[in-house]
Amino acid sequence: MPRLARIMAAVDEAQGDERSPTRLCEVATTVIGVAGAGVMLMSGDVPQGSLCTTNTVSNLMEQWQYTLGEGPCVDAYTLDRVVVEPDLAKPTTPRWLAFTPRALEIGVRAVFGFPLHEKTVRLGALNLYQDRPGALDAEQFANALVLADIIAHWVMDAQAAAPDGSIAEELDSYSDFHYVVQNAAGMVSVQLGVSVTESLVRIRASAFRENRLVKDLAEDIVSRRLRFS
Amino acid sequence: METSRDQVIIDSFVSMADNLVADFDVVDLLTGLADRCVSVLGVSAVGVMFASPTEKLRPVASSSETMRVVELFELQAQEGPCLDAYRTGRQVGYERLLTGTNRWPRFTLVALEAGFETVLALPLRLRETVIGALNLFSTEENTMDDRDIMVAQGFADLATISVLQHGAAIESQRVNDQLTQALTSRIVIEQAKGVVAERAGIDIADAFTLLRNYARSNGLRLADVAQAVIDNALDLTVWAPPTTLEASRERSTRGDRP
Repeated sequence: MPRLARIMAAVDEAQGDERSPTRLCEVATTVIGVAGAGVMLMSGDVPQGSLCTTNTVSNLMEQWQYTLGEGPCVDAYTLDRVVVEPDLAKPTTPRWLAFTPRALEIGVRAVFGFPLHEKTVRLGALNLYQDRPGALDAEQFANALVLADIIAHWVMDAQAAAPDGSIAEELDSYSDFHYVVQNAAGMVSVQLGVSVTESLVRIRASAFRENRLVKDLAEDIVSRRLRFS
Repeated sequence: METSRDQVIIDSFVSMADNLVADFDVVDLLTGLADRCVSVLGVSAVGVMFASPTEKLRPVASSSETMRVVELFELQAQEGPCLDAYRTGRQVGYERLLTGTNRWPRFTLVALEAGFETVLALPLRLRETVIGALNLFSTEENTMDDRDIMVAQGFADLATISVLQHGAAIESQRVNDQLTQALTSRIVIEQAKGVVAERAGIDIADAFTLLRNYARSNGLRLADVAQAVIDNALDLTVWAPPTTLEASRERSTRGDRP
């Protein structure tokens, strides 16, 4: 059976009645044979949020990329090509100097980023990771490319059906667009008397300094455990 | 002689295939196709007709802008080989107008008056999708053989694929732009919630209630109110705690919504 048909069959079977991006991601890990997967949605060169992740580790990987603005998903999207790091502990190309140690800490040993596109439009990237070093073989690679396409198509289909001016219901309910960070930015802009753009920079800088996820810091701000002054 | 003509055909195909990936203008592409057909196949005039969303055929490009020719194409929205080709998804003709089946009386009359003797129409088709038709006219007898017709169909197929790809790309862009805009709008609302929460000393959820009620009472879009809050263009003394919130809640429970 041709590859696409085989993968679509696996997707249909796994999803059953539940058509969700999370299930798509889970199918990706099974079909490709990786420890975990996550999908980042990006626009304007900036991570916007996470469409889905399959476990804690892949969730943290998305969060760190969102916090630090660097990583395999970010590169795959901005460079618009597949990004491969089969041995994160001994990389051939030194990159992601902030992301790498944090990824290693949570048990990630190899990462792969596949850009998500539909026609000329770039949506984000599919992130795969392994908990031991090693490259993807040709079969896995090909499957990953097909799954990236399927996921991209799913996103576009979902949004195409949305009423004008709103985020598609399915995208919004499953994705994490880190709104709490935006809430915090609003609050900090008043606390410091600066623009929200400036607040976001300050919040990110603070998170980086304290080695925290920006989302965790934002939650502290919103629940008033933390104030900027 | 044959070789150089083959070369022209090959060059034409390559050039058109390039357009599949390049940024192109649909009308330019189709005008190019029409001109190419004339020069490569030795016909007199070529026109491309497209179906509008309501499935009405209209001329989009032609090798000649003379009134006669334009009129001839426009006529085919109602009757003629192009309409038949579009509707059936099949080649229509190669037919001699003088001795033909006379299924298009009006069209035939105008075509003959314009000096055309033979006509061929090819559907612009990709599998089940027919987007229009390609029309070729000749003033001499027998200028097209079967091989020529195959080449013309090849041009037509390439043009069809280009147009469909281009259309799909435009649609994808539109959907993505929509998503980006919707997300930006939502982000502004979330930021405004934070601003109001901090100013009024309330939590995010209550801040949302205030924003939404303010928008409703003033007949404004939530997104616009949020933007005004971010831009510091709104007098936020309106959001003073906590009486405003109580009053807001009261109004809501009373059903005072515009």
